[in-house]
Amino acid sequence: MKLLNLFRRKKPSAPAGGEEFFKKKYQSFKNLLEANNAALEVMSHMEATLEGDYVFDPQFIRASTESILEKVQTIVQELNTLGDNRYAELVKVYQNIAAKIQNETAAAPSGVPISRVLPLSQVDRRLLLQVGGKIANLGEIKNRLQLPTPEGFVLTNEAYRLVLAENRLTEPLASFLKDLDINNMEQLTEKSRILREMLLQAKIPSSLVEEVNQQYDHLITALAYKPYLALRSSGLYEDLESSFAGQFLTVLNVPFDRFFPSYLEVLASQFTPTALVYLSQKRLLQRQLAMSVGCLAMVPARSSGVIFTAEPTGGRDDVLVIDAAWGLGPAVVDGSLTPDHFVLSKKPALDLLEQQISRKTKRWIAADKGIKEEAVPLEEDSQPALTSEELLTLGRYALQLEEYFGSPQDIEFSVDQQGQILLLQSRPLTLLRPHATGVLPPHLEERHPVLLDHGTVACFGVAAGPVFLVDHEADLSRFPDGAILVARHTTARYGAVLHKAAGMVIDIGSATSHLAILAREFKIPALVDTGKATQVLRPGQEITVDANQIKVYEGRLEEILQAPVAKTSLLAETPIYARLRRVLRWITPLRLTDPQLANFTPAACQTLHDITRFAHQMAVTEMFELGEQARQGEVHMVQLQTNIPLNLYIIDLGGGIRTDHRGRFVSPEDITSIPLRALWRGISHPEISWAGPIPIDVRGLYSVVSRSLTAAAPQHADFWARTLAIVSENYLNYSSRLGYHFATIDALVSDVRNDNYLNFRFKGGAADESRRGRRARFLGEVLTRLDLEVEITGDLVVARLWKYPRPLLEEKLDLLGRLMGCARQRDMVMADETTVEWYIQAFLEGNYRFAGEPGSVTPPDQD
Amino acid sequence: MSATIVIVDDEPDLLDLLKLILTEKTDHQVITTTNPQEAVEWCREYHADLLISDLRMPEMEGIELLKIVKEIDPYLPLIIITAYGSVSSAVEAMRHGAFDYITKPFRKEHILMTIAKALRWRQDHLPT
Repeated sequence: MKLLNLFRRKKPSAPAGGEEFFKKKYQSFKNLLEANNAALEVMSHMEATLEGDYVFDPQFIRASTESILEKVQTIVQELNTLGDNRYAELVKVYQNIAAKIQNETAAAPSGVPISRVLPLSQVDRRLLLQVGGKIANLGEIKNRLQLPTPEGFVLTNEAYRLVLAENRLTEPLASFLKDLDINNMEQLTEKSRILREMLLQAKIPSSLVEEVNQQYDHLITALAYKPYLALRSSGLYEDLESSFAGQFLTVLNVPFDRFFPSYLEVLASQFTPTALVYLSQKRLLQRQLAMSVGCLAMVPARSSGVIFTAEPTGGRDDVLVIDAAWGLGPAVVDGSLTPDHFVLSKKPALDLLEQQISRKTKRWIAADKGIKEEAVPLEEDSQPALTSEELLTLGRYALQLEEYFGSPQDIEFSVDQQGQILLLQSRPLTLLRPHATGVLPPHLEERHPVLLDHGTVACFGVAAGPVFLVDHEADLSRFPDGAILVARHTTARYGAVLHKAAGMVIDIGSATSHLAILAREFKIPALVDTGKATQVLRPGQEITVDANQIKVYEGRLEEILQAPVAKTSLLAETPIYARLRRVLRWITPLRLTDPQLANFTPAACQTLHDITRFAHQMAVTEMFELGEQARQGEVHMVQLQTNIPLNLYIIDLGGGIRTDHRGRFVSPEDITSIPLRALWRGISHPEISWAGPIPIDVRGLYSVVSRSLTAAAPQHADFWARTLAIVSENYLNYSSRLGYHFATIDALVSDVRNDNYLNFRFKGGAADESRRGRRARFLGEVLTRLDLEVEITGDLVVARLWKYPRPLLEEKLDLLGRLMGCARQRDMVMADETTVEWYIQAFLEGNYRFAGEPGSVTPPDQD
Repeated sequence: MSATIVIVDDEPDLLDLLKLILTEKTDHQVITTTNPQEAVEWCREYHADLLISDLRMPEMEGIELLKIVKEIDPYLPLIIITAYGSVSSAVEAMRHGAFDYITKPFRKEHILMTIAKALRWRQDHLPT
């Protein structure tokens, strides 16, 4: 929205209630400013906490966000009071953002019994600590966004705790986890085996069996058939701060008679060696582990895939990347084949930019019990796994999810035999930006032959080390520190050694596979889909992996090995820091910066900071119009006694005039309003003349006469002859019309620098359009040199200044007073452009009487 | 100098952060718990050199915990962690013999400095 447009709105209706009306408006304005400053202060505090090495707890996050929400709510309410409810839309915007924040900060309701089994229709992020990140997000997708997901229910962390307690496993598990050495692979494997065995042999308490039976019966009723189930793990911290991509088990196509053994299998999957290493690396082991399990009606998928709402390795966030294959999901994420690859533009419209259709020779399908792999018929294997219509629908869903969760997302989906799309999960996407690697000098390429130059980047960077070829999972126990992991597929089980690996090179697999996601999380330079790494690279061979240039060199190339990416503070990687970061996404980013842009609207506010910015701007605009409203109402005024013929009337809202002067007249010495006093200093400057004619040339005179004949007479002529100032101790709204020009000043000057501002508007004049335009340029140029932001349209000048310290703002008001006096009637003498520059210089040099005025005689003393 | 520090707070996140800081920056042995009763046992069992405790916990108030541990070891310094707004209660705890208090949120350096001071105090006051 143009600066000018802010002042070009429908005229407000005449106020009722006189002085009280203005006092009420002014009070709202003050409340808004106070709340604005307080909100900004809390925001700064939260940001500083995130940036520094602070220790804090969830209560800090809750208390801070509650405080900001309360203040922004006040801001929105007060703006609506000021603007007679013209900003009702902002209330809804605020409520939406507040709901998102409260989702992140809400604690489980205290005193409410925690359920062991819940239908998915009752789940959202408020139950995060009971159902884990993955299922909480799925609940949001289903119940808040109303996007298609499978029906189902969830066994919460409470069910897990019950199983542990009833089988007396709580203590043994804790002691097993206590002294875990993740670098001792043999011990790790053995402990993992025992831990999993303990879980697999556990007995399910009868009360839990009963509750699950009930939920399954409800599901049968809802679907009108007995569904097989997909059991999806949902760890407490999974998808929350860390991706856990592929770490915990998903069991597909489970008949209900196999439900509990499969449930225990999923619970036990948090103790696989890979998961234990991951948990330890993420410093989550010391907590009591807990896992909830989503039990969803099985989708007999025709196709499945993943969507990344940004290029995970290319840095482009204006595209969506979709990988898909035939059959059930594992084919895409386990890296056992190369899926179809689609890239869609996000803006201006969803559009397919590129596609690579692969030969997909196999697929996973539902079998009698579980799933099985089968060959894809030859006529189908090279067909795209998704139709263009499905791609666009998926694209729309993905954009909705990204917008809703507030960050790039990694989304899993299935398409059933009828072409119905179902979303299975959405989690934050780990993004890495490419680093530049210098071009290798020719002599180095001679010494270090290129072994591989084909593949897809899974994680940028350069790493060197000996090749360690992994053929079987058992090989992992011998994986040495600092080696390069080389393997045929991107199975997530290799995640167990990523904390030791320097780099990774894989034959087949995509950058969207679970192992690729883990490589990015561990910041390990990695290439996938190289085709022949396991054939070309020899065990023990020293190589350098340059993922930036997609090249693998023989030997160790110190020249291109970069210093490792500076690790972020350890504290920054903890769950509580991640939580604060998530909350701040909806609070501190400021996207609404320029009031002159067309999107300076309530609808464009995406964060609380945006709302404060919008509301502050609009509140000032509302105050600007207060002067106009005053003219339409009947309010008590006092008149300033002065020789200067301004006919100045004052409405005091409190503290603007000495309290012992409550008669009809006041003198300039009685003014206590800081901004009016400053302005008056300029107006009453001894060198400024407010009376008498100025030396006018013949053409100027002609222009005045002709305008007088054509211009409409000012409305309420008698009233407009007055100058009106609405004041308080720190506030001034000043409007004057002298002859044909109209000037308004709206300013707040206090010791709180953040509150301070100055708005000035000047329009009109007696001379013809070109001369008025010249005066506008004169004013605009002077104001620009006085550091104000200026916009000129025809003869309208709008200027403003924000957040200046009090002494400087008083100085500007003083100069503005002088400038208004000097500009009086000067439109008539500005015969050509050269005169404009002369007047600018004269004013800036303090020649306020314009001695030596071009084209005229020196004006006589006009006081 | 390596000391044994017991930390008790009903917020596991806070325990995680403190443990992370202390294991990264010092050689101290750190034992954390959300249960004040357990904290008393750890102090006794491990002859703790320092106890860091939340002021307000569901099971036991920090001041009550202070009285119990002072009976076990009168030279055991206790640092109270308090939320902003509960400073007066923390000052009250100091009247009862707490070594110092620290208001959440606090910087890493602040807690490290306070711990160092508390451990020096213990060294200076422990009967030889």
